[in-house]
Amino acid sequence: MAGIKRFTPAQRIFHLLLMLSFLIQASTGMARLYFETNWGRFWVSFFGGYNQVLTIHWWVGLFMLALLVVHVLYVLIHVDWRRFPKSIYGPDSLLPRREDLGQALQHAGWILGLRKLPRFDRWGYWEKFDYLAVFWGITLLGITGVILYNPVFFSNYMPGWVLNVLLWVHRLEAVLAIVHVATIHFFIGHLRRHNFPMDLVMFEGSVELEKARHERPAWVERLEQNGNFHHTLVDNTSPALRVIYYVFGFSVIACFIYLLVSALANVGGLLG
Amino acid sequence: MAKSSLRKKWHLRDGTCGAVFSSIQDHCYKNPAWLLSAMAPMIGLCLLIIFFIVPAWFQKPAWAQKEVTSRPYRYSERELASRSYERHEVKPRTYPVFVRGGIPQREAVTLSPIAEKVRRRKYLADSHWGLKFYERLACAKCHPRHARNLHYIRAKITCRQCHGPEPIAGLSHYYSKMSHRRRHAFVCAKCHEGANRSFASYVNHEPNPAALSTRQSFPLLFYVFWMMVAIAVGTFAAFLPHAFMWGLREFLPDNFWSRLKNRFAGRRKPDGRD
Repeated sequence: MAGIKRFTPAQRIFHLLLMLSFLIQASTGMARLYFETNWGRFWVSFFGGYNQVLTIHWWVGLFMLALLVVHVLYVLIHVDWRRFPKSIYGPDSLLPRREDLGQALQHAGWILGLRKLPRFDRWGYWEKFDYLAVFWGITLLGITGVILYNPVFFSNYMPGWVLNVLLWVHRLEAVLAIVHVATIHFFIGHLRRHNFPMDLVMFEGSVELEKARHERPAWVERLEQNGNFHHTLVDNTSPALRVIYYVFGFSVIACFIYLLVSALANVGGLLG
Repeated sequence: MAKSSLRKKWHLRDGTCGAVFSSIQDHCYKNPAWLLSAMAPMIGLCLLIIFFIVPAWFQKPAWAQKEVTSRPYRYSERELASRSYERHEVKPRTYPVFVRGGIPQREAVTLSPIAEKVRRRKYLADSHWGLKFYERLACAKCHPRHARNLHYIRAKITCRQCHGPEPIAGLSHYYSKMSHRRRHAFVCAKCHEGANRSFASYVNHEPNPAALSTRQSFPLLFYVFWMMVAIAVGTFAAFLPHAFMWGLREFLPDNFWSRLKNRFAGRRKPDGRD
Protein backbone atom coordinates (compact mmCIF):
# COMPACT_ATOMS: atom_id res chain seq x y z
CA MET A 1 0.00 0.00 0.00
CA ALA A 2 1.41 3.36 -0.99
CA GLY A 3 1.82 6.24 1.38
CA ILE A 4 1.47 9.94 0.83
CA LYS A 5 4.31 12.18 1.93
CA ARG A 6 3.41 14.54 4.74
CA PHE A 7 6.65 15.65 6.43
CA THR A 8 10.11 16.31 5.01
CA PRO A 9 13.21 14.75 6.65
CA ALA A 10 14.13 18.17 8.09
CA GLN A 11 10.72 18.50 9.73
CA ARG A 12 11.00 14.99 11.17
CA ILE A 13 14.43 15.79 12.60
CA PHE A 14 13.03 18.97 14.14
CA HIS A 15 10.30 16.94 15.82
CA LEU A 16 12.76 14.28 16.99
CA LEU A 17 15.12 16.82 18.55
CA LEU A 18 12.25 18.70 20.10
CA MET A 19 10.83 15.48 21.53
CA LEU A 20 14.13 14.38 23.10
CA SER A 21 15.09 17.80 24.44
CA PHE A 22 11.61 18.33 25.87
CA LEU A 23 11.76 14.95 27.59
CA ILE A 24 15.09 15.86 29.21
CA GLN A 25 13.80 19.27 30.24
CA ALA A 26 10.64 17.79 31.69
CA SER A 27 12.61 15.16 33.64
CA THR A 28 15.20 17.56 35.05
CA GLY A 29 12.60 20.23 35.74
CA MET A 30 10.38 17.76 37.59
CA ALA A 31 13.39 16.58 39.58
CA ARG A 32 14.04 20.13 40.76
CA LEU A 33 10.40 20.94 41.37
CA TYR A 34 9.83 17.78 43.43
CA PHE A 35 13.12 17.96 45.31
CA GLU A 36 11.24 18.06 48.62
CA THR A 37 9.76 14.62 48.00
CA ASN A 38 11.44 11.23 48.00
CA TRP A 39 10.63 10.74 44.34
CA GLY A 40 12.20 14.11 43.51
CA ARG A 41 15.38 13.26 45.40
CA PHE A 42 15.57 9.89 43.65
CA TRP A 43 15.12 11.60 40.31
CA VAL A 44 17.78 14.18 41.19
CA SER A 45 20.25 11.46 42.15
CA PHE A 46 19.46 9.71 38.86
CA PHE A 47 20.86 12.75 37.03
CA GLY A 48 23.90 13.01 39.29
CA GLY A 49 22.87 15.52 41.93
CA TYR A 50 21.06 18.78 42.36
CA ASN A 51 23.66 20.97 40.68
CA GLN A 52 24.09 18.50 37.85
CA VAL A 53 20.35 18.61 37.20
CA LEU A 54 20.49 22.36 36.90
CA THR A 55 23.46 22.20 34.54
CA ILE A 56 21.68 19.73 32.26
CA HIS A 57 18.51 21.81 32.40
CA TRP A 58 20.45 24.94 31.43
CA TRP A 59 22.33 23.50 28.47
CA VAL A 60 19.40 21.56 27.05
CA GLY A 61 17.28 24.68 27.48
CA LEU A 62 19.79 26.66 25.45
CA PHE A 63 19.68 23.91 22.85
CA MET A 64 15.89 24.24 22.63
CA LEU A 65 16.17 28.00 22.20
CA ALA A 66 18.71 27.45 19.42
CA LEU A 67 16.38 24.89 17.88
CA LEU A 68 13.60 27.45 17.88
CA VAL A 69 15.82 30.03 16.17
CA VAL A 70 16.92 27.50 13.56
CA HIS A 71 13.32 26.49 12.94
CA VAL A 72 12.24 30.10 12.49
CA LEU A 73 15.03 30.53 9.93
CA TYR A 74 13.90 27.32 8.25
CA VAL A 75 10.34 28.63 8.04
CA LEU A 76 11.47 32.01 6.70
CA ILE A 77 13.54 30.29 4.01
CA HIS A 78 10.63 28.11 2.94
CA VAL A 79 8.06 30.88 2.74
CA ASP A 80 7.03 31.62 -0.83
CA TRP A 81 7.99 35.31 -0.74
CA ARG A 82 6.87 35.90 -4.36
CA ARG A 83 3.27 35.23 -3.38
CA PHE A 84 3.59 36.81 0.06
CA PRO A 85 1.36 37.37 2.05
CA LYS A 86 -1.11 35.09 0.25
CA SER A 87 1.23 32.13 0.57
CA ILE A 88 1.24 32.11 4.37
CA TYR A 89 -2.55 32.03 4.49
CA GLY A 90 -2.85 29.10 2.09
CA PRO A 91 -3.99 25.57 3.00
CA ASP A 92 -0.40 24.38 3.38
CA SER A 93 0.37 27.03 5.97
CA LEU A 94 0.29 26.30 9.70
CA LEU A 95 -1.01 29.78 10.49
CA PRO A 96 -4.62 29.76 11.70
CA ARG A 97 -7.30 30.64 9.15
CA ARG A 98 -10.96 31.57 9.38
CA GLU A 99 -11.84 28.12 8.09
CA ASP A 100 -10.16 26.56 11.13
CA LEU A 101 -12.66 28.11 13.52
CA GLY A 102 -15.55 26.86 11.40
CA GLN A 103 -13.99 23.39 11.18
CA ALA A 104 -13.43 23.28 14.93
CA LEU A 105 -17.09 24.07 15.57
CA GLN A 106 -18.20 21.60 12.90
CA HIS A 107 -15.93 18.94 14.38
CA ALA A 108 -17.42 19.51 17.83
CA GLY A 109 -20.84 19.18 16.23
CA TRP A 110 -19.77 15.90 14.60
CA ILE A 111 -18.59 14.58 17.95
CA LEU A 112 -22.02 15.37 19.40
CA GLY A 113 -23.81 13.88 16.41
CA LEU A 114 -25.19 17.18 15.20
CA ARG A 115 -23.20 17.75 12.01
CA LYS A 116 -21.17 15.96 9.39
CA LEU A 117 -17.43 15.33 9.72
CA PRO A 118 -15.57 18.37 8.32
CA ARG A 119 -13.37 17.88 5.28
CA PHE A 120 -9.94 18.67 6.72
CA ASP A 121 -7.09 19.85 4.54
CA ARG A 122 -3.41 19.21 5.23
CA TRP A 123 -3.48 20.58 8.81
CA GLY A 124 -6.26 20.23 11.34
CA TYR A 125 -7.02 23.00 13.81
CA TRP A 126 -5.67 20.89 16.73
CA GLU A 127 -2.38 20.40 14.90
CA LYS A 128 -2.01 24.13 14.30
CA PHE A 129 -2.68 24.72 18.00
CA ASP A 130 0.00 22.22 19.01
CA TYR A 131 2.52 23.69 16.59
CA LEU A 132 1.99 27.30 17.60
CA ALA A 133 1.86 26.41 21.31
CA VAL A 134 5.46 25.22 21.04
CA PHE A 135 6.52 28.69 19.87
CA TRP A 136 4.76 30.29 22.80
CA GLY A 137 6.05 27.70 25.26
CA ILE A 138 9.71 27.71 24.27
CA THR A 139 9.78 31.49 24.11
CA LEU A 140 8.21 31.95 27.54
CA LEU A 141 10.11 29.12 29.21
CA GLY A 142 13.36 30.12 27.51
CA ILE A 143 13.24 33.78 28.49
CA THR A 144 12.22 33.11 32.08
CA GLY A 145 14.72 30.27 32.34
CA VAL A 146 17.66 32.37 31.14
CA ILE A 147 16.75 35.12 33.59
CA LEU A 148 16.34 32.71 36.50
CA TYR A 149 19.68 31.08 35.75
CA ASN A 150 21.46 34.48 35.87
CA PRO A 151 19.53 36.34 38.56
CA VAL A 152 22.34 38.64 39.67
CA PHE A 153 23.05 39.89 36.17
CA PHE A 154 19.43 40.44 35.21
CA SER A 155 18.60 42.16 38.49
CA ASN A 156 20.64 45.07 37.12
CA TYR A 157 17.83 45.63 34.65
CA MET A 158 14.77 44.77 36.69
CA PRO A 159 13.73 44.56 40.34
CA GLY A 160 14.75 41.41 42.16
CA TRP A 161 11.18 40.64 43.20
CA VAL A 162 10.31 40.02 39.54
CA LEU A 163 12.32 36.80 39.93
CA ASN A 164 9.61 35.52 42.28
CA VAL A 165 7.01 36.12 39.58
CA LEU A 166 9.12 34.63 36.78
CA LEU A 167 9.76 31.46 38.75
CA TRP A 168 6.03 30.81 39.02
CA VAL A 169 5.50 31.64 35.35
CA HIS A 170 8.26 29.16 34.46
CA ARG A 171 6.79 26.46 36.68
CA LEU A 172 3.18 26.80 35.60
CA GLU A 173 3.98 27.04 31.91
CA ALA A 174 6.19 23.96 32.16
CA VAL A 175 3.50 21.99 33.98
CA LEU A 176 0.96 23.08 31.37
CA ALA A 177 3.24 21.93 28.55
CA ILE A 178 4.07 18.56 30.14
CA VAL A 179 0.48 17.73 31.02
CA HIS A 180 -0.75 18.83 27.60
CA VAL A 181 1.77 16.66 25.80
CA ALA A 182 1.28 13.65 28.07
CA THR A 183 -2.50 13.71 27.84
CA ILE A 184 -4.03 15.60 24.91
CA HIS A 185 -1.20 15.34 22.39
CA PHE A 186 -0.61 11.64 23.03
CA PHE A 187 -4.30 10.78 23.12
CA ILE A 188 -5.13 12.48 19.83
CA GLY A 189 -1.94 11.30 18.20
CA HIS A 190 -1.84 7.70 19.35
CA LEU A 191 -4.81 6.49 21.34
CA ARG A 192 -7.61 7.36 18.96
CA ARG A 193 -9.12 4.40 17.16
CA HIS A 194 -7.77 5.48 13.77
CA ASN A 195 -4.23 5.98 15.08
CA PHE A 196 -4.00 3.24 17.70
CA PRO A 197 -1.50 2.08 18.89
CA MET A 198 0.74 4.78 17.45
CA ASP A 199 0.69 7.27 14.62
CA LEU A 200 4.07 6.83 12.95
CA VAL A 201 3.67 9.73 10.53
CA MET A 202 6.25 11.83 12.39
CA PHE A 203 8.82 9.03 12.13
CA GLU A 204 8.03 7.73 8.65
CA GLY A 205 7.14 11.08 7.15
CA SER A 206 4.24 9.59 5.22
CA VAL A 207 0.68 8.53 5.92
CA GLU A 208 -1.25 5.69 4.32
CA LEU A 209 -3.27 6.83 1.33
CA GLU A 210 -6.58 5.36 2.48
CA LYS A 211 -6.15 6.89 5.91
CA ALA A 212 -5.37 10.27 4.36
CA ARG A 213 -8.45 10.05 2.14
CA HIS A 214 -10.57 9.41 5.21
CA GLU A 215 -9.05 11.98 7.58
CA ARG A 216 -7.97 14.73 5.16
CA PRO A 217 -10.06 14.39 2.02
CA ALA A 218 -9.72 18.05 1.04
CA TRP A 219 -5.92 17.74 1.01
CA VAL A 220 -5.86 14.58 -1.16
CA GLU A 221 -8.38 16.06 -3.61
CA ARG A 222 -6.38 19.25 -3.85
CA LEU A 223 -3.24 17.28 -4.65
CA GLU A 224 -5.08 15.24 -7.27
CA GLN A 225 -6.52 18.35 -8.92
CA ASN A 226 -3.13 20.11 -8.98
CA GLY A 227 -1.54 17.16 -10.75
CA ASN A 228 1.13 16.77 -8.03
CA PHE A 229 -0.39 13.67 -6.58
CA HIS A 230 2.05 11.15 -8.03
CA HIS A 231 4.99 13.26 -6.78
CA THR A 232 3.79 12.88 -3.21
CA LEU A 233 3.41 9.11 -3.24
CA VAL A 234 6.14 7.18 -1.47
CA ASP A 235 6.81 3.55 -0.67
CA ASN A 236 5.97 2.08 2.66
CA THR A 237 8.62 1.88 5.36
CA SER A 238 10.36 -1.44 5.91
CA PRO A 239 9.03 -3.59 8.78
CA ALA A 240 12.36 -3.48 10.63
CA LEU A 241 12.33 0.28 10.63
CA ARG A 242 8.74 0.33 11.81
CA VAL A 243 9.69 -1.88 14.76
CA ILE A 244 12.42 0.57 15.72
CA TYR A 245 9.95 3.44 15.42
CA TYR A 246 7.46 1.64 17.61
CA VAL A 247 10.00 0.78 20.31
CA PHE A 248 11.39 4.29 20.37
CA GLY A 249 7.98 5.95 20.31
CA PHE A 250 6.56 3.77 23.06
CA SER A 251 9.65 4.39 25.19
CA VAL A 252 9.18 8.14 24.97
CA ILE A 253 5.49 7.84 25.73
CA ALA A 254 6.25 5.58 28.70
CA CYS A 255 8.73 8.14 30.05
CA PHE A 256 6.16 10.93 29.86
CA ILE A 257 3.43 8.82 31.43
CA TYR A 258 5.84 7.86 34.23
CA LEU A 259 6.63 11.53 34.82
CA LEU A 260 2.98 12.51 34.84
CA VAL A 261 1.81 9.71 37.12
CA SER A 262 4.71 10.18 39.54
CA ALA A 263 4.15 13.91 39.64
CA LEU A 264 0.46 13.44 40.41
CA ALA A 265 1.21 10.80 43.03
CA ASN A 266 3.71 13.06 44.82
CA VAL A 267 1.86 16.33 44.56
CA GLY A 268 0.82 15.96 48.21
CA GLY A 269 4.45 16.05 49.34
CA LEU A 270 5.04 19.09 47.18
CA LEU A 271 2.25 21.10 48.77
CA GLY A 272 3.42 20.04 52.22
CA MET B 1 90.97 56.44 80.59
CA ALA B 2 89.98 57.18 84.17
CA LYS B 3 87.54 55.07 86.04
CA SER B 4 85.33 56.05 88.94
CA SER B 5 85.04 53.58 91.76
CA LEU B 6 81.42 54.32 92.47
CA ARG B 7 80.00 54.64 89.00
CA LYS B 8 81.18 52.84 85.92
CA LYS B 9 82.16 55.63 83.70
CA TRP B 10 84.56 55.46 80.84
CA HIS B 11 85.74 58.69 79.49
CA LEU B 12 87.41 58.60 76.17
CA ARG B 13 90.26 60.89 75.32
CA ASP B 14 88.18 63.03 73.11
CA GLY B 15 85.80 63.64 76.06
CA THR B 16 82.95 61.43 74.87
CA CYS B 17 81.39 58.53 76.74
CA GLY B 18 82.09 54.95 75.60
CA ALA B 19 79.58 52.97 77.68
CA VAL B 20 77.01 54.20 80.06
CA PHE B 21 75.47 52.16 82.83
CA SER B 22 74.44 55.06 84.92
CA SER B 23 71.37 57.19 84.71
CA ILE B 24 73.48 60.21 85.34
CA GLN B 25 74.82 61.26 81.98
CA ASP B 26 75.69 64.83 82.52
CA HIS B 27 79.26 64.12 81.62
CA CYS B 28 78.26 62.76 78.20
CA TYR B 29 75.74 65.26 76.83
CA LYS B 30 75.24 68.84 77.44
CA ASN B 31 71.43 68.56 76.81
CA PRO B 32 70.02 65.12 77.79
CA ALA B 33 66.43 66.21 77.03
CA TRP B 34 67.37 66.10 73.33
CA LEU B 35 67.75 62.32 73.51
CA LEU B 36 64.35 61.86 75.08
CA SER B 37 62.68 64.21 72.66
CA ALA B 38 64.29 62.31 69.76
CA MET B 39 63.51 58.83 71.06
CA ALA B 40 59.90 59.35 72.12
CA PRO B 41 58.40 59.80 68.63
CA MET B 42 60.44 56.92 67.33
CA ILE B 43 59.26 54.67 70.12
CA GLY B 44 55.73 55.85 69.53
CA LEU B 45 56.09 55.19 65.83
CA CYS B 46 57.39 51.69 66.51
CA LEU B 47 54.51 51.00 68.86
CA LEU B 48 52.09 52.28 66.27
CA ILE B 49 53.60 50.03 63.64
CA ILE B 50 53.75 47.00 65.90
CA PHE B 51 50.31 47.25 67.42
CA PHE B 52 48.18 48.98 64.80
CA ILE B 53 49.61 49.17 61.28
CA VAL B 54 51.10 45.66 61.06
CA PRO B 55 47.98 43.96 62.41
CA ALA B 56 45.84 46.14 60.23
CA TRP B 57 47.95 45.23 57.23
CA PHE B 58 47.83 41.50 57.77
CA GLN B 59 44.43 41.25 59.35
CA LYS B 60 41.48 43.02 57.85
CA PRO B 61 38.68 44.05 60.15
CA ALA B 62 35.83 41.63 60.62
CA TRP B 63 33.15 41.86 57.98
CA ALA B 64 30.71 43.23 60.50
CA GLN B 65 33.14 46.05 61.39
CA LYS B 66 33.89 47.21 57.89
CA GLU B 67 30.94 49.47 57.72
CA VAL B 68 32.07 51.57 60.65
CA THR B 69 35.84 51.39 60.20
CA SER B 70 36.01 53.22 56.92
CA ARG B 71 33.21 55.36 55.64
CA PRO B 72 34.72 55.99 52.20
CA TYR B 73 35.40 52.27 51.88
CA ARG B 74 31.88 51.43 52.94
CA TYR B 75 30.34 53.88 50.54
CA SER B 76 32.49 53.09 47.52
CA GLU B 77 32.74 49.35 47.92
CA ARG B 78 29.44 48.40 49.43
CA GLU B 79 26.68 50.90 49.18
CA LEU B 80 27.54 52.76 46.00
CA ALA B 81 26.60 49.56 44.15
CA SER B 82 23.03 50.07 45.21
CA ARG B 83 22.93 53.17 42.96
CA SER B 84 20.13 54.65 44.98
CA TYR B 85 21.77 54.67 48.35
CA GLU B 86 21.60 58.39 48.92
CA ARG B 87 17.86 58.43 48.62
CA HIS B 88 17.60 56.23 51.65
CA GLU B 89 20.68 57.21 53.60
CA VAL B 90 19.74 59.06 56.74
CA LYS B 91 21.56 59.50 59.98
CA PRO B 92 20.12 57.99 63.09
CA ARG B 93 18.08 60.55 64.88
CA THR B 94 19.35 62.05 68.06
CA TYR B 95 16.58 60.25 69.88
CA PRO B 96 15.00 56.99 68.84
CA VAL B 97 11.58 57.30 67.39
CA PHE B 98 10.12 54.03 68.53
CA VAL B 99 12.69 52.88 71.06
CA ARG B 100 13.66 54.96 74.03
CA GLY B 101 15.96 53.63 76.71
CA GLY B 102 15.55 50.17 75.25
CA ILE B 103 11.81 50.39 75.76
CA PRO B 104 9.53 50.55 72.74
CA GLN B 105 7.42 53.69 72.74
CA ARG B 106 3.92 54.14 71.51
CA GLU B 107 3.53 55.63 68.07
CA ALA B 108 1.52 58.72 67.33
CA VAL B 109 -0.84 56.69 65.14
CA THR B 110 -2.49 53.92 67.05
CA LEU B 111 -2.43 50.59 65.25
CA SER B 112 -4.05 47.32 66.10
CA PRO B 113 -2.35 45.62 69.06
CA ILE B 114 -0.64 43.00 66.90
CA ALA B 115 0.38 45.39 64.13
CA GLU B 116 1.71 47.81 66.68
CA LYS B 117 3.79 45.15 68.36
CA VAL B 118 5.21 43.85 65.08
CA ARG B 119 5.89 47.26 63.67
CA ARG B 120 7.69 48.42 66.74
CA ARG B 121 9.82 45.30 66.72
CA LYS B 122 10.98 46.11 63.20
CA TYR B 123 12.90 49.01 64.67
CA LEU B 124 14.46 47.27 67.65
CA ALA B 125 18.14 46.43 67.87
CA ASP B 126 16.97 43.12 69.30
CA SER B 127 13.78 42.31 67.54
CA HIS B 128 13.05 39.46 69.95
CA TRP B 129 13.57 41.63 72.98
CA GLY B 130 11.37 40.74 75.92
CA LEU B 131 9.95 37.51 74.49
CA LYS B 132 9.36 34.95 77.17
CA PHE B 133 11.33 31.69 76.96
CA TYR B 134 12.94 32.96 73.77
CA GLU B 135 16.09 30.91 74.26
CA ARG B 136 14.02 27.73 74.15
CA LEU B 137 12.16 28.56 70.96
CA ALA B 138 13.08 27.54 67.43
CA CYS B 139 12.61 30.09 64.64
CA ALA B 140 9.94 28.01 62.88
CA LYS B 141 7.91 27.85 66.08
CA CYS B 142 6.81 31.45 65.64
CA HIS B 143 7.58 31.83 61.91
CA PRO B 144 6.29 28.54 60.45
CA ARG B 145 5.56 29.90 56.98
CA HIS B 146 9.01 31.48 56.73
CA ALA B 147 10.61 28.05 57.07
CA ARG B 148 9.23 27.15 53.65
CA ASN B 149 11.58 28.95 51.31
CA LEU B 150 13.84 27.85 48.50
CA HIS B 151 17.04 28.69 50.38
CA TYR B 152 16.18 26.30 53.17
CA ILE B 153 14.51 23.60 51.08
CA ARG B 154 17.02 23.50 48.24
CA ALA B 155 20.32 24.63 49.80
CA LYS B 156 19.67 23.80 53.46
CA ILE B 157 20.62 27.33 54.46
CA THR B 158 19.56 27.86 58.05
CA CYS B 159 17.98 30.98 59.51
CA ARG B 160 21.17 31.98 61.32
CA GLN B 161 23.26 31.94 58.18
CA CYS B 162 21.35 34.93 56.86
CA HIS B 163 19.84 36.55 59.93
CA GLY B 164 22.99 36.20 62.00
CA PRO B 165 23.58 35.46 65.67
CA GLU B 166 21.76 37.03 68.60
CA PRO B 167 20.66 39.71 68.93
CA ILE B 168 18.82 39.75 65.64
CA ALA B 169 18.06 43.34 64.79
CA GLY B 170 14.74 44.33 63.30
CA LEU B 171 14.68 44.85 59.53
CA SER B 172 14.21 48.56 59.88
CA HIS B 173 16.83 49.10 62.52
CA TYR B 174 19.49 51.42 61.23
CA TYR B 175 22.43 49.13 61.87
CA SER B 176 20.77 45.86 60.92
CA LYS B 177 22.67 44.01 58.25
CA MET B 178 19.33 42.79 56.93
CA SER B 179 18.29 46.38 56.34
CA HIS B 180 17.32 46.96 52.74
CA ARG B 181 20.18 49.43 52.47
CA ARG B 182 22.91 46.87 52.92
CA ARG B 183 21.32 43.44 52.74
CA HIS B 184 22.77 42.86 49.27
CA ALA B 185 26.31 43.40 50.54
CA PHE B 186 26.23 41.75 53.94
CA VAL B 187 23.86 38.85 53.34
CA CYS B 188 23.18 38.13 49.65
CA ALA B 189 26.73 38.66 48.43
CA LYS B 190 28.06 35.97 50.73
CA CYS B 191 26.77 33.44 48.20
CA HIS B 192 25.58 35.50 45.21
CA GLU B 193 28.72 37.28 44.11
CA GLY B 194 28.00 40.74 42.76
CA ALA B 195 24.56 41.00 44.33
CA ASN B 196 23.19 44.50 44.17
CA ARG B 197 20.36 46.25 45.93
CA SER B 198 17.88 45.31 43.23
CA PHE B 199 18.79 41.65 43.60
CA ALA B 200 18.24 41.87 47.34
CA SER B 201 14.62 42.82 46.75
CA TYR B 202 13.94 39.17 45.85
CA VAL B 203 11.32 37.99 48.31
CA ASN B 204 12.89 34.95 49.88
CA HIS B 205 9.98 34.35 52.25
CA GLU B 206 7.46 34.73 49.47
CA PRO B 207 3.79 34.50 50.32
CA ASN B 208 1.55 31.79 48.97
CA PRO B 209 0.77 33.08 45.45
CA ALA B 210 -2.68 31.51 45.49
CA ALA B 211 -3.75 33.07 48.79
CA LEU B 212 -6.10 36.02 48.73
CA SER B 213 -3.91 37.88 51.20
CA THR B 214 -1.13 37.92 48.59
CA ARG B 215 -3.28 40.28 46.55
CA GLN B 216 -2.37 42.94 49.10
CA SER B 217 1.19 41.97 49.93
CA PHE B 218 2.47 40.94 46.46
CA PRO B 219 -0.21 41.84 43.88
CA LEU B 220 1.85 41.09 40.75
CA LEU B 221 2.64 37.58 41.96
CA PHE B 222 -1.01 37.00 42.82
CA TYR B 223 -2.39 38.18 39.47
CA VAL B 224 0.28 36.52 37.31
CA PHE B 225 -0.14 33.23 39.17
CA TRP B 226 -3.89 33.19 38.65
CA MET B 227 -3.52 34.32 35.04
CA MET B 228 -1.25 31.35 34.33
CA VAL B 229 -3.62 29.02 36.17
CA ALA B 230 -6.50 30.40 34.10
CA ILE B 231 -4.59 29.73 30.87
CA ALA B 232 -3.86 26.16 31.96
CA VAL B 233 -7.38 25.49 33.18
CA GLY B 234 -8.85 27.03 30.02
CA THR B 235 -6.65 24.88 27.81
CA PHE B 236 -7.54 21.67 29.61
CA ALA B 237 -11.20 22.59 30.00
CA ALA B 238 -11.42 22.97 26.23
CA PHE B 239 -9.18 20.17 24.99
CA LEU B 240 -9.50 17.36 27.55
CA PRO B 241 -13.26 16.82 27.02
CA HIS B 242 -12.73 17.44 23.32
CA ALA B 243 -10.08 14.71 23.06
CA PHE B 244 -12.00 12.29 25.23
CA MET B 245 -15.27 12.76 23.34
CA TRP B 246 -13.44 12.53 20.03
CA GLY B 247 -11.93 9.23 21.12
CA LEU B 248 -15.34 7.89 22.08
CA ARG B 249 -16.93 9.13 18.87
CA GLU B 250 -14.47 7.24 16.71
CA PHE B 251 -15.71 3.98 18.17
CA LEU B 252 -19.15 4.75 16.81
CA PRO B 253 -20.03 4.23 13.15
CA ASP B 254 -20.48 7.34 11.03
CA ASN B 255 -24.21 6.82 10.75
CA PHE B 256 -24.66 6.10 14.46
CA TRP B 257 -26.51 9.28 15.33
CA SER B 258 -28.75 9.14 12.26
CA ARG B 259 -29.63 5.52 13.01
CA LEU B 260 -30.35 6.42 16.60
CA LYS B 261 -32.56 9.30 15.46
CA ASN B 262 -34.42 7.09 13.02
CA ARG B 263 -34.90 4.44 15.66
CA PHE B 264 -36.54 6.87 18.07
CA ALA B 265 -38.46 8.49 15.23
CA GLY B 266 -39.81 5.05 14.26
CA ARG B 267 -41.28 4.56 17.73
CA ARG B 268 -43.33 7.72 17.47
CA LYS B 269 -47.04 7.34 17.11
CA PRO B 270 -48.74 8.41 13.88
CA ASP B 271 -50.31 11.46 15.53
CA GLY B 272 -46.88 12.73 16.43
CA ARG B 273 -47.09 12.05 20.15
CA ASP B 274 -44.37 9.97 21.84
